[in-house]
Amino acid sequence: MATLAHPDEPRRPNIASADIQLPAVTSYEQVDNEILSILQPTKAWFGALLLALACLGLGAFSWIYQIHQGLGVAGYNPPVMWGVYIITFVFWVGIGHAGTLISAVLYLFRAGFRTTIYRAAEAMTVFAVMTAGLFPIIHIGRPWKFFWLIPYPNWRLIWPNFKSPLVWDVFAITTYLTISTTFLFVGLIPDIAVLRDRETNPIRRRILGVLSFGWRNTEREWRHFARAYLFLAAFSTPLVLSVHSVVSFDFAMGIVPGWHTTIFPPYFVAGAIFSGFAMVWTIIIPMRRWFGLRHYVTLNHLDASAKLVLFTSLAVGLAYLIEFFIAWYGGVQYEQDYFWNRVFGQWWWAAWIMLTCNMILPLSLFSQKLRRNPTWLWILSIFINIGMWFERFVIVVPSLSHDVEPWQWSSYVPTWVDYGLLIGSFGWFFMWFLLFIKQLPVMALAEIKEIIPPKMKHTHGHGGH
Amino acid sequence: MRGMLGVFAELDATVAAIEDLKKGKVGDLTVFSPTPRHELEHAVHPPMSAVRKFTLIGALSGVTFGFWIAIWGSNYWPLVVGGKAISTWLPYVVFGFEVMVMVGALSTVFGMFFLAGIPRLTMTVGYDPRFSHGSYGIFCECTPERQAEAEAILRRHGAVEVRGER
Repeated sequence: MATLAHPDEPRRPNIASADIQLPAVTSYEQVDNEILSILQPTKAWFGALLLALACLGLGAFSWIYQIHQGLGVAGYNPPVMWGVYIITFVFWVGIGHAGTLISAVLYLFRAGFRTTIYRAAEAMTVFAVMTAGLFPIIHIGRPWKFFWLIPYPNWRLIWPNFKSPLVWDVFAITTYLTISTTFLFVGLIPDIAVLRDRETNPIRRRILGVLSFGWRNTEREWRHFARAYLFLAAFSTPLVLSVHSVVSFDFAMGIVPGWHTTIFPPYFVAGAIFSGFAMVWTIIIPMRRWFGLRHYVTLNHLDASAKLVLFTSLAVGLAYLIEFFIAWYGGVQYEQDYFWNRVFGQWWWAAWIMLTCNMILPLSLFSQKLRRNPTWLWILSIFINIGMWFERFVIVVPSLSHDVEPWQWSSYVPTWVDYGLLIGSFGWFFMWFLLFIKQLPVMALAEIKEIIPPKMKHTHGHGGH
Repeated sequence: MRGMLGVFAELDATVAAIEDLKKGKVGDLTVFSPTPRHELEHAVHPPMSAVRKFTLIGALSGVTFGFWIAIWGSNYWPLVVGGKAISTWLPYVVFGFEVMVMVGALSTVFGMFFLAGIPRLTMTVGYDPRFSHGSYGIFCECTPERQAEAEAILRRHGAVEVRGER
């Protein structure tokens, strides 16, 4: 394994992200050997998996308890009938945005820094959307009725209301989960073939042979693969923008102060990309350290991704300020009162956590020194994750608790069941992610090989070695 | 299916061998590479992938179905609101778009599988596990009479291994 930490990396390079290279990775064999060595389970991995399973167990117990006792055990307090479950649903959908953004949008823009992080981000997306999809089912209290939202010929002879944003959501999330999973799996096929060809256990080799669909690395396969990958990226790009726009319609279609605004779709999309990238850092930065991958995810990669986080932070911050401006400029008393209550009234603490974590702390990324400091980026990612959960809290709870009718004003305090399910969602997410990183390559072998100069017989012409 | 398989360590040697085998019209070529390379594509000079046709047909079918299911469902189970149309185009764009993306993407993947000839049950002829690792390969499918010629070309360009396959 290469021990070069940051070779050829100038102290303060001001490089374009498309030019990012991997100077310490010199051969295809090195890529296979180093990245596939991650697949060996370690004690620390088992420990992390046990912790994730413990969190999942708490979530499962909370859900079973809620099904047995009824929704009353959650913290709902009319008219606050959306709480931690919807907040957590929007949070995880947002987390799920970075994967497709990195794999599809940055692929179309030829942003080089995506190459070594997109596989982990794609897997994160699939598992985050799987997590998000649980929460509307948990929220309805009677999960066995969930299938009523799906349009299909049925014995009830009734169909869902196609004008409802909740039905739009079902279509948007289902499509997003399907396409994200497809994108992840299609990209994995050549890498599973690498695993198959190195496997010595005949049973595992057979399983990997089936999963790789008999991929043989022929020019014909690569030609159709590249074209299909391009079209999948082209489909996924507007899909990334549409999914969180549709989620934002759940709120924006409601005539509730703080919700009924046209700024929600771009505001939600920017927030989703922002939070998704933060979760990518939360996962990638420890991985590059523990698995010795610092010469794959270099400081240049982190620097480039930090610029994107800074940009989305500024976009989110602008959306926060525009919300206040609209409330003031619109002259609607209920809106003005609501926003005052959000920042200086009943919910000031939640709003200031949101503003501090999402607007103020990310301004540190204007400093190149901090953009190239992995420890700071990881700490910042935790703050952003917290801030983005609280952003959804601030959107959901204060609006419902401070509606247009003062006699309805109330409060909201989550119960242990709410918190149990929130913790359980992290357990569910990390359980899948931890299982993934020990079964399949966490970096795209074929794409990394693409950016390494190939071996040449004659050194002229191709820059080979 | 019989022919000669050459394993190469260098990309330019592989390209040169492909060009010579094509020039000599020795047989049909299958080229292997651990990663897509434009140099190989230029040497093989294949026709453009037809995956886009699957994409287009899938996307058009999807958008049609998305709008149809929403309009048909609304008319079959009308939720009547005074002054509002039973079926409206604007909110149904969501269904048209989402189903277009889903069916379009899935048909793209189907097209890739169909055109690339996968899933493949057997891969013993003309394949070497090194091709997924770091080596390039050329399988020249030819008659027994021309195998010696194919072998000579492969060896001349520096193949690290040449063997007959059947």
